[in-house]
Amino acid sequence: MKTKMTKRARTEAIWGLLFIAPTIIGLLILNYYPIFETVWQSFCKTGDFGIGNTFIGLGNFKKLFTDKEVFRTLFNSFRYAILSLPLTVAISLVLAVLLNRKMKLRSVYRTIFFLPMVCAPAAVAMVWKWMFNQDYGLLNHMLGFKINWVTDPAIAMLAIVIVGVWSSIGNNMILLLGGLQDIPRDYYEAASVDGSTGVHAFFHITIPLLSPMLFFIIQTGIMGALNLFDLPFMIMDQSSRAWPSVKTITYLFYEYAFEKSNRGYGAAIILFLICIISILTFILQKSEKKWVHYD
Amino acid sequence: MKKRLLAAALAVSMAAAMVGCGGSGSTAGTGSEGAGTASTASTAGEAQGTTAPAGSGETITVAIWDPNQLAGLQQIADEWGAANGYKVEFTVPGWDGYWTMLEAGVSGGEMPDVFWMHSNNAAKYMASGVLLNMDSYIENDDTMDLNNYFEGINELYSYNGSQYGIPKDHDTIAVIYNKALFDKYGVEHPTSDWTWEDFAAIAQEISDKGAADGVYGTYCNTGNNQDTWYNIIYSYGGEVITEDKKASGYDEPATIEAMKFVAEKILPACPSPDSMASTGGDTMFISGVVGMICQGSWTVNNFYTADNASDFEWVMLPYADVNGNGTCEPEERCSIYNGLGWSIYSQTKHPDAAWSLVSYLSSEASQIKQSELGVTMAGYIGCSEAFANAFDGMDVSAFVDIEEQGTLIFRPYSKTTAIWEDDASQALVEAWSAPEKMEEVMHKIADSMNETLAEENG
Repeated sequence: MKTKMTKRARTEAIWGLLFIAPTIIGLLILNYYPIFETVWQSFCKTGDFGIGNTFIGLGNFKKLFTDKEVFRTLFNSFRYAILSLPLTVAISLVLAVLLNRKMKLRSVYRTIFFLPMVCAPAAVAMVWKWMFNQDYGLLNHMLGFKINWVTDPAIAMLAIVIVGVWSSIGNNMILLLGGLQDIPRDYYEAASVDGSTGVHAFFHITIPLLSPMLFFIIQTGIMGALNLFDLPFMIMDQSSRAWPSVKTITYLFYEYAFEKSNRGYGAAIILFLICIISILTFILQKSEKKWVHYD
Repeated sequence: MKKRLLAAALAVSMAAAMVGCGGSGSTAGTGSEGAGTASTASTAGEAQGTTAPAGSGETITVAIWDPNQLAGLQQIADEWGAANGYKVEFTVPGWDGYWTMLEAGVSGGEMPDVFWMHSNNAAKYMASGVLLNMDSYIENDDTMDLNNYFEGINELYSYNGSQYGIPKDHDTIAVIYNKALFDKYGVEHPTSDWTWEDFAAIAQEISDKGAADGVYGTYCNTGNNQDTWYNIIYSYGGEVITEDKKASGYDEPATIEAMKFVAEKILPACPSPDSMASTGGDTMFISGVVGMICQGSWTVNNFYTADNASDFEWVMLPYADVNGNGTCEPEERCSIYNGLGWSIYSQTKHPDAAWSLVSYLSSEASQIKQSELGVTMAGYIGCSEAFANAFDGMDVSAFVDIEEQGTLIFRPYSKTTAIWEDDASQALVEAWSAPEKMEEVMHKIADSMNETLAEENG
C-alpha cells in the first residue's frame, strides 16, 4: 500500500537528500563512473591517454584464462590471505582480551599496539625493508643468523605476512575491544555460578557474543588480503629471485595498466579479481547464519 | 563506551589514511632511467620555484622531474623571462609524479606549457598529438639548426618526419672507483687504457682480498642495463635491438658472448644476487663495500655530495679488445647515451612564447651555461667541455672524453621499450642465479622480445 507523505515528511526528505548530496555526487563521480569505465575498458584494446579505444569483445578475457601468470599471482594473493588472516585474527583477539582487563598502563599498551595503524603504509614498508636486509639489516644482526628474508623464495612470503600482520593487528584489536565491552558482565557471572570460567567461558561466551565483530573483521580482512599491493611492491626488489613467489594479482594489474600501458588487459585482470572476491563474500554472507550470533 | 572507542578508532584511521596519502611518495624503481636522478627526485616530493615577475608579463609554466637541475635551469629561464617580459614557473613533481601528472593533464587539459620528454615515453606522446609540431618554428627561427644537436636524440623526438622536441642534454657512462679501497688492498688504480677483461680481473682481485671484510669488486644487477651491461654488449659488437627496430639482438653471437662474459667474469666479482636484490649499487658503493661501479653522468651529484666524495675518482669505460690487437679502436669502447628533449604542449595558450623559451634554453650559450653550472652535459654538440670542470674537486672528464675516444650508442629503444626492457630484466634474474644458463636465457629473451616487436609492428 502506498502511503502519501505529509508535507513535513517531504521537506525532511528533501533536506536529507540535500545533505547527503555532496557525498552521493562524490561517490558517483569518483567511484561509480570509474567502475563502469573499467568494465568498458576490459572489452577494449586501449589506446594511449584513453584516446582511440577499440572494442575487441572478450579478447582480453580469453587471453586472461590462458595466462599462467594470472593464476600464479592469484595463487600468491590467496597464499597471503590464508597465511595472514588467521594470525591477524588470533593475535588481535588475544590482545583485545588481555587489554580488556583492569590493569596498569592499559591505555599506554593500547596506544602502542595501535601505533602501526597511524604510520603511513609506505613508511612502514620502507623501515621493514631495511630491517629485513640480509647483509646490513637489524633483524639478522640481532638474531645472529644470515636469513635471506626477502630474497629466498621459500620464506619471502612469510616476511611479507609478518609485516602485514604487524600493521593490521592494532586496528582489529580496537574493533574487538569495542565488541568485548559490549558483552554484559551478567553472562560471565551467571556462567561462573554454573562452573564455567576462564578458557571455557572464553569459548562459550566471549567468542559467540563477539562473532558479529569477528565476522566483520574476517570479511574485510579477506578483501584486504586479496587486494595486497603495497607491501611486496615497497619491500622487495623485482630483481629478487623470490619476486615470482610473492608477486600478487593486484601487482600484475598495475604492471599491465600502468607500466606496460595495456589498460584493457589490466581492467580485465582486476574485474576477474573483483568477481572472485564477490563470490567469496557471497559464500561468507551465506555462512553468516550458521555461526554469527546477534544477541 | 563502545561507541566512543569506535569513534576514536575511526578518527585515528582516517588520520592514518591521510598521512598515507601524503607520505607514500613511492620508491621509484627507475635507477637507470636515462637522464634525471629519479631516485633523488622522488624523495624530494614536490618542490616549486618561481621566478621574479618581469614587468606585467604572463606566466609560462615548465615541468621537470629532477630537483637537482632546478636551480640551474631556473637561472637560465629567468634570463629569458627578464628579456621577454614573462614569468617562468617551474614544477618539479619527481619522476613518478611527473608522468602521473602529465598523463592526468592530457586527459584533463591542464598541462604545463613546456616540459621534458624522455625516451621511455616519447613515442606515446608524439603519436597521441599531445606535443606541438615544431617544424614551422624551427624553419622560421634563424638560431635553430637541428644539425647542431646529437643525431640520436633528434631522431628520438621526431615522428613521421616532424620534430616534437629539441635535445636538452645528453648523458654518457663512466666508471667510478673508490681510491681508499684500492689502496687498502694494494690494487693499482685503473687508467683509461683498460679492457673489460682488465675490469673483471681488478674487480675479482678486490673481491678476493676483501672477502674477509665483506668487500666486493663491483656491482651489476639485472636492471643495470643502461649503465652497465648494455655498454658491454655494444663494445663486444653485439646489439640489443636491430637497426630497423624490428628484431631483437639478444640471440646474436656477439651479444651472447658479451653476456656470457658478464656471467662468467663480472658476476663472480659482485655481491651475491640476493644481496644485490636487497641493496642498491650506489648505496653499496658509497658505503665502501664495493670497489667500483659503472654509472651515468646524471648521477654525478649523488656521488659529489657524499661524505667521502674525496675518495672517489671517475675513469673512462673500458674497451673490449675484439680484434685482439691490444689497442682500443673507437668502436670497441661504447657508451650508451640518452638525452631529454624540451617539448611544448600542443594546446598551449602561448605557443610563440613557449617556443621562444625552448629556443633560448637550447641555444649554444644556454647549453654551455647548462654544462658550466653542472646541470648536465649539453644536447648541443661541443658544448659539454665545461661540464668536466663543473664539479670543484671532482674530475668528471671521463664522461666527455669518451665522445672523442669511443663511440656513443643511443640507448636502444622502440615504441614498446617499456615492455621488452622489463621482460629482459625479469628473465635475467634466472641467469643471475645460475650463470651457466646465460645462453639459454638470452634465447628466451630474444623470443619474447621478438613477439613484442611483432605486435608493435603488426
